[in-house]
Amino acid sequence: MGGHFRLLMQVAFRNLFTSKINLLIGGIIFFGTLLVVVGGALLDSMDSAMSRSIIGSVAGHLQVYSDESKDELGLFGQMGGEPDLAAVDDFSRIKPVLEKHPNVKTLVPMGTNGALITSGNTVDLTLARLRDLYKKRAEGGETPGLRENIDSLKSHVRQMVALMEEEMARSQALLSETARTPEEKEAIARARSEEFWNGFEADPFDSLEFLENRIAPQIPDGDMLYIRYAGTDLDAFQRTFDRMEVVDGQPVPSGQRGMLLSKFFYEEYLKLKTARRLDLIKQERDVNKKTIATDPQMQRWVKENQTQTRELLFQLDPIKTRLAVERLQKVLGSQEPKLEKLLSDFLATDDANFDTRYAQFYAELAPLLELYRIRLGDSLTITAFTRSGYVQSVNVKIYGTYQFKGLEKSALAGALNLMDLMSFRDLYGYLTADKKAEIADLQKQSGVKAVARENAEDALFGEDSGNSLVAEATPGLINEQEAFNGAMDSLRRDDLAKRVYSQSEIEQGVVLSAAVMLKDPEQLQQTLAELRQSAQDAGLKLRVVSWQQAAGIIGQFVLMAKLVLYFAVFIIFVVALVIINNAMMMATLQRVREVGTMRAIGAQRSFVLGMVLVETLLLGLVFGAGGALVGSGIMAALGSAGIPAGNEALYFFFSGPRLYPTLSAGNLIAAFVIVLVVSSISTLYPAFLATRVSPLKAMQTDE
Amino acid sequence: MTKDYTLGKVVVPALRGVDLQVHPGEFISIAGPSGSGKTTLLNLIGCVDTATTGVVSVAGQDTKLLSERQLTHLRLHTIGFIFQSFNLVSVLTVFQNVEFPLLLQRKLDKAQRRERVMQLLEQVGLANHAKHRPNELSGGQRQRVAVARALVTRPQLVLADEPTANLDSVTGQHIIDLMKELNQKEGTTFIFSTHDAKVMNHANAVWRLADGKILDRLSASEAQRAMASGSH
Repeated sequence: MGGHFRLLMQVAFRNLFTSKINLLIGGIIFFGTLLVVVGGALLDSMDSAMSRSIIGSVAGHLQVYSDESKDELGLFGQMGGEPDLAAVDDFSRIKPVLEKHPNVKTLVPMGTNGALITSGNTVDLTLARLRDLYKKRAEGGETPGLRENIDSLKSHVRQMVALMEEEMARSQALLSETARTPEEKEAIARARSEEFWNGFEADPFDSLEFLENRIAPQIPDGDMLYIRYAGTDLDAFQRTFDRMEVVDGQPVPSGQRGMLLSKFFYEEYLKLKTARRLDLIKQERDVNKKTIATDPQMQRWVKENQTQTRELLFQLDPIKTRLAVERLQKVLGSQEPKLEKLLSDFLATDDANFDTRYAQFYAELAPLLELYRIRLGDSLTITAFTRSGYVQSVNVKIYGTYQFKGLEKSALAGALNLMDLMSFRDLYGYLTADKKAEIADLQKQSGVKAVARENAEDALFGEDSGNSLVAEATPGLINEQEAFNGAMDSLRRDDLAKRVYSQSEIEQGVVLSAAVMLKDPEQLQQTLAELRQSAQDAGLKLRVVSWQQAAGIIGQFVLMAKLVLYFAVFIIFVVALVIINNAMMMATLQRVREVGTMRAIGAQRSFVLGMVLVETLLLGLVFGAGGALVGSGIMAALGSAGIPAGNEALYFFFSGPRLYPTLSAGNLIAAFVIVLVVSSISTLYPAFLATRVSPLKAMQTDE
Repeated sequence: MTKDYTLGKVVVPALRGVDLQVHPGEFISIAGPSGSGKTTLLNLIGCVDTATTGVVSVAGQDTKLLSERQLTHLRLHTIGFIFQSFNLVSVLTVFQNVEFPLLLQRKLDKAQRRERVMQLLEQVGLANHAKHRPNELSGGQRQRVAVARALVTRPQLVLADEPTANLDSVTGQHIIDLMKELNQKEGTTFIFSTHDAKVMNHANAVWRLADGKILDRLSASEAQRAMASGSH
């Protein structure tokens, strides 16, 4: 028996290296295996890196949200804005149900939404600061320090008006007369006049109003900015997503309202554009090794820096302007008196001077400038459309910026800013405890009974409702009224910002979803099913989905890539199948006499079949092992060196600046199984043919 | 028995009624020109082909009644084959080629196989070439390996189809001598085809075939004379 098999092996093994056809087949198998091993391992690594990105940033292992939602949850947004989710009315009701599961580690309440923020333009901001100073003076009287500040700001405003006039004159040369209305010109002229400024102190508030209404709007640079935020229990968030770290500033104090901006967002959208462009050029040069001389995008940035200096000019009051001129003159060794020209010269960076200029910018100019449109510690007014359609504004203090370790440069991970749940609920248009209390008060006073949202329609418009005054009858609508009648003010009040909310206050209320972190991620599917069941048993209408689903399109990305790879592999192996099949046919035909001889001297058909199959299997094993070995070598090399994420978009998928791929046993086994199956299948027909070779063939002579 | 081949739509009779009997220990030569049906006759006797009509019985078994598997089994255990072009397995060594039928038989263990193979290689004078590959050997040496392979299973019958056709006359003579020697020593029955008069010389009997029929059965010397006189 053993000898028999050995014979098969001997014949097969000897044939392996004597036939050119076998080498061809072997080559195909070799590269096929290599592809499966390397491609599969890369994608698996990317998959797990991306899952770490998604799980570790906002998703957690599972996400739970209301089953009444119209759309699927899409934590990273979806086509056409935020998904339409029904709210989970009370997080504190679902928390105990889900937390009971032994595999649930933590539960983080969440709600994502987008809103607009407006930051006034530079003129607006300066005027607002001036107004504050005058207010302070009106309340507490004038001090020398205050006077000095007021004068400084006033001269800053005058300088800005002067710049605007200059710009107007320039644009008039280019554009037609109608580019600016006479009223606008008149306003500028007035703001430029000595008599306006001489009379300023007589009625500062009136003068400020004029500037705010007639001058500031002429500057277009104060823009609306779309901001995505997640309202969450910030403490729980920090505890759960350990990749999160506060970069600048401080965490939002426990239980308080406040916001952490994403570092990426802060840099990308709120930083002074000139500084941002310098940062980007530096990054391209240092990280991606590009040069200004060859890269058109970098050249564009340099050009923009040279031409778009107004942002800088406006920020500088006369004293700072003088300082800036002096410093730039020294740096450039120039006598040029005009700051605009100096800046333009200074920012004309090329590959030779960039690093010095970059350092000089941050050392000399940056201290004179506000580098960010919103300073940490400032309050940000966020304006959002609530669920019921009215506009709600909430002031939130920005405590700091945060990032997810390894995902610093990912636009996807960096798109989300974090906010306390209370502010989120206000913006989302649901009742916070504060407002509930207020409404309860109002209800008591007016004697209106509460109507649940579900049967509001019936209660209000049903036959026996007896109501005629709809507007005051339901909490939801009262809420709306409140919003119009002063809730806005109350939400902007500072005392709210200082209030410390208890954990139960944070948890008792509306959330849109909850992230679930598991103790053992391996049991994800099982836990998912069990949580679904226990939610159902508890009468909660909840959807429980995996991070992959919760991430929306992003979660499908690797799946798509895998499909593409497997399709490619499939095609390659189909081609391989055909080639191997043909080659084996040829090999069989070449060996008809040998096979005939074996049959004549007593080999059964099964022996011939075994011989051909063993030969192909051996071929598959030897060359497949070779391919797998080389593939493992490549993966080991890649695994220790890492694959750099060429562009920022890949950071998310690589879960960091470099992907360190690993090779799992699964990849190797998959490759082997595929190779063996393909080589066996492709040999079946040739092997069958071989068994049909008649022993008569042995008798045929060579002629 | 008769044997017909179909070539396209034409039926070609290869054997038109042959009736013969071979006794154990005989050393028989089948003679005749090409196309006379020598190979067909050997194929029928060797159970690699079946007769169109008539009965072929080998070692007392009617081959018509046997399945493909059983025929193969019969070939393995009772018949040895020697081919015109040697037909060794080129990737195997001399030793492995000779061992091949024993492995198929699965009757002997490794040591027994070794002993048997070496004994036969000894007999054919190739013990020193056991580890060589067929392509390292001369034609005569290859055919001696083939003889060893045919005899290694101790078959009752050895069939040789023009065993000397691809060899020069001296070497061919050696092969026939070898076969004769084994025939006498082991008592193995040999049937071989040839058209070489010198080769026929060694046979106990010569059957002359022409156009698918047996012309006559002669003793070796009779055949010699018949050949020399130029008639078939």
